[in-house]
Formats: sequence, C-alpha cells, structure tokens
Amino acid sequence: MYLQKKLQKLLKPLVQPFFAVLIGIITGAVAIAIVGEPILDTYIVMWNGAFGNFYFLTSTLARATPILLVGLGVALAFRAGVFNLGGEGQMVLGAVSAALAALYFPGPPAVKLVAALIAGMLAGGLWALLAGWMESRFKVQLLISTLLMNYVAILFASYLVAEPFQDRSGSAALAQTPMIEQGAWLPKLFTGMSVHMGFVIAVFCALLLVIILRFTTSGYEVKMLGLNPFFAEYGGVNKVKVLLLSMFFSGALAGLAGTVEVLGTQYRYVDGFLTAPGFAWTGLMAALLANSNPLGTAVAAILLAALQTGAMGMERNTEVPLEVASVIQAVLILFVSAKFTINWWKLRKKEGDVSGTV
Amino acid sequence: MELFDYSLFVSAIRMVSPILLAALGGALCARVGIFNVGLEGLILAGAFSAIVGNHFTENIFLAVLSGVAMSVVVSLVFGVATIHLKSNPIVAGIAINFLMLGLTTFALRAIFDVKGAYYDKDMAGLPKVHIPFLEDIPVIGKLISGHSPLVYVAFIAAVVLYIFLYRTVTGFRLLAVGKNPAAARSLGLKVTTLQYGAVILSGVLCGLAGAQLSLGQVTMFTEGMTAGRGFIALVATMLGQSHPIGIIGSSMLFGLMDALSIRLQGFSMPTQFTAMLPYVITILAMFFLKDRGTDSLAGQQSSR
Repeated sequence: MYLQKKLQKLLKPLVQPFFAVLIGIITGAVAIAIVGEPILDTYIVMWNGAFGNFYFLTSTLARATPILLVGLGVALAFRAGVFNLGGEGQMVLGAVSAALAALYFPGPPAVKLVAALIAGMLAGGLWALLAGWMESRFKVQLLISTLLMNYVAILFASYLVAEPFQDRSGSAALAQTPMIEQGAWLPKLFTGMSVHMGFVIAVFCALLLVIILRFTTSGYEVKMLGLNPFFAEYGGVNKVKVLLLSMFFSGALAGLAGTVEVLGTQYRYVDGFLTAPGFAWTGLMAALLANSNPLGTAVAAILLAALQTGAMGMERNTEVPLEVASVIQAVLILFVSAKFTINWWKLRKKEGDVSGTV
Repeated sequence: MELFDYSLFVSAIRMVSPILLAALGGALCARVGIFNVGLEGLILAGAFSAIVGNHFTENIFLAVLSGVAMSVVVSLVFGVATIHLKSNPIVAGIAINFLMLGLTTFALRAIFDVKGAYYDKDMAGLPKVHIPFLEDIPVIGKLISGHSPLVYVAFIAAVVLYIFLYRTVTGFRLLAVGKNPAAARSLGLKVTTLQYGAVILSGVLCGLAGAQLSLGQVTMFTEGMTAGRGFIALVATMLGQSHPIGIIGSSMLFGLMDALSIRLQGFSMPTQFTAMLPYVITILAMFFLKDRGTDSLAGQQSSR
C-alpha cells in the first residue's frame, strides 16, 4: 500500500502532461488525415526525422538549445509570478549585441567571445529590466508591455543590420552583419554535427537554476513572491528588488539564447533568423508545459525541438506540411492550461450538488 | 507630401475599425471578469476564415459570416477553457493565440497550398458605402462616407454596446457579474451563461475585426497578419476603461498611429522606425492607464 501511494504521488504530476500529449497526438493525427496521408507512417517518418540517426539527434539538440535557454528565462519569471512574453525581443537584442561585440570588441578572439557572451546577456537582461521597472514603478502591465516591446526590439535590430552594420563585403546586400572571426566561435561538440557548446551552456544553466531555486535564499524569495506576493511582502521580501532581479536574469537567459545561436550556428546576426523559427515562443511553451520546473523545461524543450525537426523530416518525405507541429504544440498548451484531467475529476465528484452554492 | 493632411484622417478611420471592434470584444469580457488575452487569435481566425469563405462562396456577406462563425467557435473554446475548466485566462488566451497562428498557417498550406500569404486578384473585397447626402458635404463628407460597411458597424457597435450595458437589464446584470460574481450568483443571476454570452459576443466582434483586416483594404491573408493588433486592442480596452465611448477615443488614437506609421514611410525615414510607432505609442499610453486592471503580481497567482 505504501509503495502504491508513493507511486501515485510520483505519477500524479505526469498525468496532466500525459493527457495533453495524447490529445496533441490525436490532433496531429486528425490534421494528417485531413491532408490525406497514412497517420502511423507519417508519425514514424516524424520520429526518424527527430531521432532517426546521430545526425538528426544532434540537429534536434542544436534546435533545442535556444528554446531551452529562453524557456528557462520564462520559467524564472513565472516563478516570480510574472508573465514575460518578451523572450523574442530580449533574444534578438541579445543576439545582435553579441554579434556586434564579437565583431568590434578589441582583443584576441577569446576575449571577443567572452565579450560577446556578456554583451548578449546584458542586452537581453536590460531590455527585460526596463519592462520590470515599468511594472514596479508605474504599474505598466508586464504581460502586455513585454509583448509590445518585442516588436520594437525586432524592428530596431532589423534596422541595425540593414543600415549601419550591414555586411557590404558580399555581392548580395542581405540584412546581416559581417561574419565573426573563427576564433570567437563556440566550438561544435562533434565535428560535422550542428550541436555546439551552447547546448552544454544551456544544460548547465538549467542545473544552476534548479540549485538557485531550491537551495538559496534568493531562490526561495523568488518562489515566495510568485506563490503569494502579499505573504512575501509580509515576510520581509523586497518585492521590487526580487521582481527586478528575476526579470533581469529572465531577459539575460533569453539574450544568452540569441547569443549562442549567433556564436554557435550562424556566426553573424541575420535579420529574422531567430524570429522565423519561433524559438522564443517554443521556449515559452516548454516552460508552460513543464510548469516552470527548470529540469522539466529542459526535457520539454528537447521534446518540442524534436517535434519541429521531426516535422521538417516529415515535410521532406511526405505531403504533410510542417505546420502540423505548431498545431500540435498549441493544443498541448491549451490542454495543459485547462488542467483537463484534474477538473474532470472534480466535476465528477461534484455532480450531485453542482446547481447549488459554488 | 505633407505629414498631416486630409487623407491621413480618412485612412485613420479605416484603421480604427479592427482595433475598435476587438477592443469592444475585450471590454465585454473584462466586464464579466475575464481578461481576454486571446483577442489576437480570435481576430486571426476571423481574418483567415473570411478569406476562405470569400474564396469558396464568392459572396462577400457569406465571407464575413464565415469569419464571424469561426471566431465564435474559437471564442467558445476559450470560454470552455476559462469558465468551465477554470484554467488561467492568460495561459488559455496565449494558447488560443498560438493555436490560431499554427492552424491558420497549416490551413493556408492545406487549403491554398501557399506559404506566407494568400492573394487572389479575382477576389472581391468589402464594398465601399457611399452615403447619399452626407457625401456631398465639403469637408466631413469624405471623412464619413466611402468606407467599408464594417467601419460603420464598428462605430455603431460601440454605441449599441453602450446602450446595452448602461440602459438594459441584461447589461446591468452583466456588469454585476464582473463587479462581484458571488453576489451576482446569490441574486439568482446565471453567471456562467452571462459569461459565455460575453465571450461569444467578443468572438463575433473579433470575427468582424478580422474580416475588416483581410477584406477591408487589400483582399489578402498573410501569416500572423494581426501583428500584435489584438494586444493593442487590449490596451485600448484598458485605456478606455472598458467603457464603449472611452474605447472609441482610445482606438481612434491607435488607429491614427497606424495610419501615421504608414504615412511616414513616404518620408526619408527608415521603415523600421516608422513601423515601431504604433507599438511605442501603445507602451507610452499604458503609463496613463487609470484602471490598471489587475496588478500582474497579484492577478496571476494561479498561473503555476
């Protein structure tokens, strides 16, 4: 009996994501059926596209890297009780600052690399801090301000690489910066594979966040603020300070996501290379799916990345468009948010007295 | 070319209508105590379905109707999630936005087999309404006359909503639900029904907003064509303090900024900066909000 209870306790948090994934798969099946392809075969093609061989596996991990970092940032903000929808803008500003630092910071390549990492995190962090400051000082709703600031940041970065810092060496005038010198690149983990040092950095950040949230006073303050701001204030937590710090590091993580993409994959800032694949939004979904648990966010980020790389493989080999992946993702979130299973149980329990006082 | 001229205000009135319609929908939800972040997704659903309806029926009325119908269906999903399953409205709203962004891009591929945007030159957009006598008045004439029907619907909807909320019994009940659901329930009001009603009505309004977006000026659909308008509308709702007449004012401001942002492109300014204008103004406007809604820190406790 004891074992059964223990098992139940262990499995209970998994029931919700399990149902969500199940519904996601069913929705995907419906979408595939609408296009008129065999469902099971398509899913097998999808699985192979994500994990089929070592090359695809590393591609999945490479794609998971920025998603994981943004997801951690969002999770940290969630823990402090605020919705940071500005991951995309923070990421883009981080990326463009990192690229510029790596290009123009004086010194040997290793110094440029460090400068780029710091600049990227600082830019993302400060952009998020601005939203946090507007919230705490002027009560400008963070949820909306961070979202609107995305557009400002993306357009500004686009201006930077289209006008003053554009790469004019090539023949085609693309909106991108010149290439960073090779010494300042983040090394690849395996030669010929796309996964790079950034993935190690991301996993390290996830572990660090676990430790901070679980074992340090500031981590405890963040959680307390998120769970009950009034009690936190009563307990002597400096609400504004904790909020601002959480937002800064939340943005810094998003900035780092953009930075490692620049230093590990593209080696320059290309207009739209972070926004088109929707890294930031996938990161937000990963954090939501994992209920803001850092390690859970890491797992969810890899799963969502696998869904996307799998969908690309699917598009190469079948007639199904890769947008199926985004449909499945959104359904996942909707059902995770709806606390579907739990409420269903509650409704059943209350069936008798539902029309009385609620 | 002048910065402020007559045609700027004419185009501003055209730009106002999607924001105004959506903001009214947001206000209805706010009045029953639901913070509807899903406006963006609802507008997108409406915009896409309106194009699909236009493509298949070649009837502009049916096109608008299909936009509205789709938007209502999506708003019902949102309603079930927030009212029935008691999920956090913010998470559910964001999920709706994602879902519609994904579904419309998917359907764009599945139905029209195109990526990015769908445009068909044979497709007829919304007609322009010429009001017989008003049209001939020198200055105001062109300002008032010659817009798509949905522009007029938007302004009429605001007035109707005002009358509904403040002059009818059902309207008062709706307001009561938003003020204090428990007290409203103890009076015997059907709180859930009223909330569903508000959510569905906001679906209708957002569907109209979407139809105006995709059929109003140029008849086309592009991926994510709402570009944050749902959120701008949300700010318009808050700035107008969920009062229909206030919302007309705040929407006019944002519509004017939209028009100005397009107008500024004609000047020697980087397009990136002109495109920023509506967002920057919206953020600045939030500093002046009196009714700040719920404090984000206090309001989102149940999000985890």
